[in-house]
Amino acid sequence: MSDRIAGLLIAAIALVYGIVAGGYEQGFGDPLGPAAFPRIVAVPLGLFALVLVVRPDAEPAWPRARVLLRQLNALLVLVLYALLLEDLGFPLATFLAVTLLARELGARWRASLLTGIGLGAGLWTLFDPILGLPLPLGLLAW
Amino acid sequence: MAMGRWTSAVAAAGVWLSLSAFTPSSVECIAPADPGGGWDFTCRTVGKLLYDLELVKEPVKVTNMAGGVGAVAFSNVAAKRSDDPNLIVATSTVGITQIAQGRYPGDLDVMRWLAMLGADVGVVLVRNDSKYETLDDLLQAYKENPGVAVAAGSSGIGGWDHIRLLMLAKEAGATGEQIKNIRWVQYDGGGPAVTQMLGGHVEVVATDFGEIAGFVESGDVRVLAVMSDERLEAFPDLPTAKEQGVDVVGYNWRGFYLPGKVSDEAYQGWADVMKKLYDSQEWQETAVSKGLTPIWRGGEEFESWVEDQTARMRGISKEIGVIK
Amino acid sequence: MDTLNALFYGFGVALQPLHLALGFFGAFIGTLVGALPGIGPVNGVAILIPLAFSLQLSPTAALILLSSVYYGTMYGGRISSILLNIPGDEPAVMTTLDGYPMARSGRAASALAVSGVASFVGGTLATVGLTLFAPILARAAIHFGPAEYFALYVLAFATIGGITGANPAKTLLAAMIGLAIGTVGLDPATGIPRFTFDSYHLYDGVDFIVAIVGLFAISEFLIFLERPAGTHQPRVEIGSMRGAYRDVRRSFGAMLRNSVVGFIAGVLPGAGASLGSFLAYVFERRISNRNDTFGKGDPRGVAAPEAGNNAAAGGALVPMLTLGVPGSGTTAVMLAMLITLNITPGPLLFEKQAELVWGLIAALYLANVVLVILNLPLVGIFTRLLALPYWLLMPIVVMASFVGVYSISHSPFDLYMMIGFGVFGYVLRKLEISLVPVVLGLLLGEAMEFNLRRALSISNGDWTYLVSSPIANTIYVATAVLLAIAVAMALRRERTPH
Repeated sequence: MSDRIAGLLIAAIALVYGIVAGGYEQGFGDPLGPAAFPRIVAVPLGLFALVLVVRPDAEPAWPRARVLLRQLNALLVLVLYALLLEDLGFPLATFLAVTLLARELGARWRASLLTGIGLGAGLWTLFDPILGLPLPLGLLAW
Repeated sequence: MAMGRWTSAVAAAGVWLSLSAFTPSSVECIAPADPGGGWDFTCRTVGKLLYDLELVKEPVKVTNMAGGVGAVAFSNVAAKRSDDPNLIVATSTVGITQIAQGRYPGDLDVMRWLAMLGADVGVVLVRNDSKYETLDDLLQAYKENPGVAVAAGSSGIGGWDHIRLLMLAKEAGATGEQIKNIRWVQYDGGGPAVTQMLGGHVEVVATDFGEIAGFVESGDVRVLAVMSDERLEAFPDLPTAKEQGVDVVGYNWRGFYLPGKVSDEAYQGWADVMKKLYDSQEWQETAVSKGLTPIWRGGEEFESWVEDQTARMRGISKEIGVIK
Repeated sequence: MDTLNALFYGFGVALQPLHLALGFFGAFIGTLVGALPGIGPVNGVAILIPLAFSLQLSPTAALILLSSVYYGTMYGGRISSILLNIPGDEPAVMTTLDGYPMARSGRAASALAVSGVASFVGGTLATVGLTLFAPILARAAIHFGPAEYFALYVLAFATIGGITGANPAKTLLAAMIGLAIGTVGLDPATGIPRFTFDSYHLYDGVDFIVAIVGLFAISEFLIFLERPAGTHQPRVEIGSMRGAYRDVRRSFGAMLRNSVVGFIAGVLPGAGASLGSFLAYVFERRISNRNDTFGKGDPRGVAAPEAGNNAAAGGALVPMLTLGVPGSGTTAVMLAMLITLNITPGPLLFEKQAELVWGLIAALYLANVVLVILNLPLVGIFTRLLALPYWLLMPIVVMASFVGVYSISHSPFDLYMMIGFGVFGYVLRKLEISLVPVVLGLLLGEAMEFNLRRALSISNGDWTYLVSSPIANTIYVATAVLLAIAVAMALRRERTPH
C-alpha cells in the first residue's frame, strides 16, 4: 500500500513538474531551452512511479506512535536549532541541541550535558578561530 | 600668495575632516560566494591589505554567503544590516548585470555603491589557425551570416561575456536581428571554453583576459581584440577593439557596496579609506599580479557610473530579448 | 626535459623539510575533512587557502599543501561511508554500497583496509599516469566536446539500473528523482530560475553536501530512533587483519582495473571523482558479480570505487596542470589560488614552472605513501568508532555536518533543507528505494543536461550532431553492449533457479 501511495504521489509530482517546466520560456539562441530537459525527465519519473503503483513491494514496517513521537521530537530539536542559531549564537544553540539529542538517544543527563558542552565549544573553536570561518556568538557576544 | 594660503587652508580642513570623519572598526566583508571564487578573493585580498596598511584596526572578518549570484547576500544585507557602517560587500560587473536584468530583490538604490578598485579586461579570441585574422574579419562575417562562427564564454545567454561580444557586433553595424542569431555556448569558465575551442567544438571565445592569459602566452590562440581603453601593459602586442575602430570597452570590475542606510559620513569615510588603499603601492602590485588592471572610481562618481552601466546593460538586454 | 630527470628533480623539491611537513599536514587534515560529512573536498581545500596565504607560502608549497589535502579527502571520505553508511563526501557515495554491508557483517577492519589499499593503488597509478602521459592526455581530452560528454552521461545513466540488487524500477525511479532535484536553480545557459518557488536560496540549486548529509546522516539518525530508548549499539565484530589481507589480495585486480577507469574519468575536464567512482563500481559489478555478491559486502565493490575516485582525483590534475583547466570542482579552486599567487596556469606551466609542477608530482607520490601509512594503522582506531555509544556519535555527525554547511553559506535555510532531505531519505529507505542513485542523479544530471544543450546550441538545434562524432558513437555502442549483457544475464538468472 505504501508503495502505491508513494507511486501515485510521485507520479502526480512528475506531472506538475513537467507542466511547470513547460512554462520556462525558451530564450533566443538556445535551441533546446530550459524547459526541455525537465520535461524529458518528467516522463520516466512518472512512468517508474506508476510501476510502483502496479507492482508494489511488500509493506514496510512503519514506526509505531511512540517511535514516531521520538522522531518528531528529534526533528523539532533540529528545526529549533536552525531557527534559533543566529539569535542564541552557535555555542549556546549547539550545546542545547546536542544535550537534548543525546538525551533522546538514551544518554544520562550528565553525559548529555558534557557532550553538549564539548561539542558546542569544540566545534566553535575548530571553525571560528582555527579555520577562520566565522560563526555567530549571539548571546555570548556580550 | 593669497591663493596659496587659501589652498593650504582647504588642505588643512581636508585633513581635519578626514581625521574627524568616520573610521571603520571591526569590519566585516561579505563575499556572496563560496570560498575560492572571485568575490571571495576580492574580500580576502582587500581585507588583508586594509589591515596590513593599518587603514582598519582589527583584522577584517570575511564571511561567505553564497546564493543566487549574490542575491542572497543582497537581500540579507537589505533586510538585516541596512545601517551597519562596518560592513562591506564584494561585487563586480556580474552583480550589476543581475540587477540590470531584475534578478536581485531590489534595484541599485537599495545599496550604496562604494568603489571599484580594479578590473579584468574582456577579450575576443580564436584559434591560432583560424581564418579570422582581425576583429573586423570576424564582425564582418557575423554581419553576413550570424551563424557562421559559434562563440563561447563563461556566462550564459545575456551574461556579461555574451553581451560584450554583442556590443562589439552592434558597434560594427550589425542589426538587432543579426546579433540575436550569433550562436552562443556557455561553459563553466573561460579556460574550459578555450580548450573546447582548441578541440574544434566552437570557433570564438569571448571572456575575461585573466583566466586565459596562459593560452595567449603559449601561442595556441590569436587575440582579435582586448576590450580596454589602452593596450595591456603586460601584453603590449595585443590590439584593443577601440584602435580597430570598434569603440567598445568591456571591463569586469571588482569593487564593493555598502548597506543602503549608512550615513553620508560613513559613506564618505569608506570612500576615503578605499582611495588610500587604491593609491598604495601594495594594491597596485597585488592587482597587477592578479591579472587585474587597477582602475579607480569611488564615491558619488562611482555611484553615477554604476547607474549608467546598469542602464546600458538593461538597454541591450531588452534589445536582444533577454528581458522584457 | 627528460621525464625521469624531471621527476628526480621534483623529489628534490618535494623532500625539502617545509614541503615534506606541509605534505604530512595536508594529508592528515584532508583525511579528517574527508571523513567529516559536512565538508566536501571543494570547501575542504578552499578553507585552507587563507591559511596558505597567512603562512606566506610559496606557490609550490601552497600547491603541495592543497593537493595533499585533496588526496587526503579522497582517503577520508570512505571512513564514514563504511562505518556509518554516511558518505563523508560526494565521491564516497558509491563506497556505501558494499562497504557498509561489510562492516555490518563483521568485516569493518577488512573494508577499511581494502579501501585504504585501493585508494593507494588508485592514487599512485594516477600519479604515474600524470607523470608519463599528462601532455598527450591533455591534447586528447580536448577532443571531448559536448556531444561526446553527453554520450558518456548516457552510458552512465543507462547502467544506473544495475548498481543495486534491489527492485530495478525503484533504482531507476531514484535516479530520476535525483535528476529532477538537480534541475532546481538558475539555469546557467539562460539565467532563468527553475523550480525555485521565488526563493533566492534555491537559485544556486541544491547543494550536494546538503543533500548527501540530509539523505544519509539525518535519515540514519531517524532510523536509529526506531530502537527503544537506551538500547546500545549491538556489539559489532570488526574482523581480523588476516581476513583483511585475504580480501585485499582478492580485490587487487579490481583495484588495478578501476584505477584506469577512474583516471580516464578524471582526465576529462568537468567529469571528476564522482563519475570516476561511479563508473568504476558499475564496471566492476558488470564483470565480477557472478555469484550475486555485490551490494552484500563484496570487497571488490569497495575496492573499485575507492581506486576509481582516487585515480580520478589524480587524473583531474592532468587538465589542470597541462591546460590550466579544472578537471573537477576542487581543482577549480586550486587554479583560482594559483592565479592569486601570480602563477599563470596554461599550456606553458610545465616549461615555465618546472619546480612547481614536478615538485607537486613528486609530492603526490609521497602524499600517497604518507596516506596509506597513516590510514592502515588507523584502521584499528577508526573501527573503535563503532564502539562509541550512539548518543555520542550521532550528535557529532549531525552537528559537524550542520556547522560545516552553515559556516560556508551562513544560511539557516540550508539547515532546514538538510532536515527536509533527512525526512525524505527516511521515507525512501523505508520504501527500500536506494539513496545512492538519487545522489548520482543530482551529481551527474546537470552536466548531462548542459552538454546536451551545448551540443544543440552549436548545431543550432540539429540532433544529428549528437551522433556525428566517432568517439560519441563508440560510447553509444559500448552502452548498447553493456545493456545487452545485463539483459542476457538477467534472463539467465531467471532460468537457473538458485
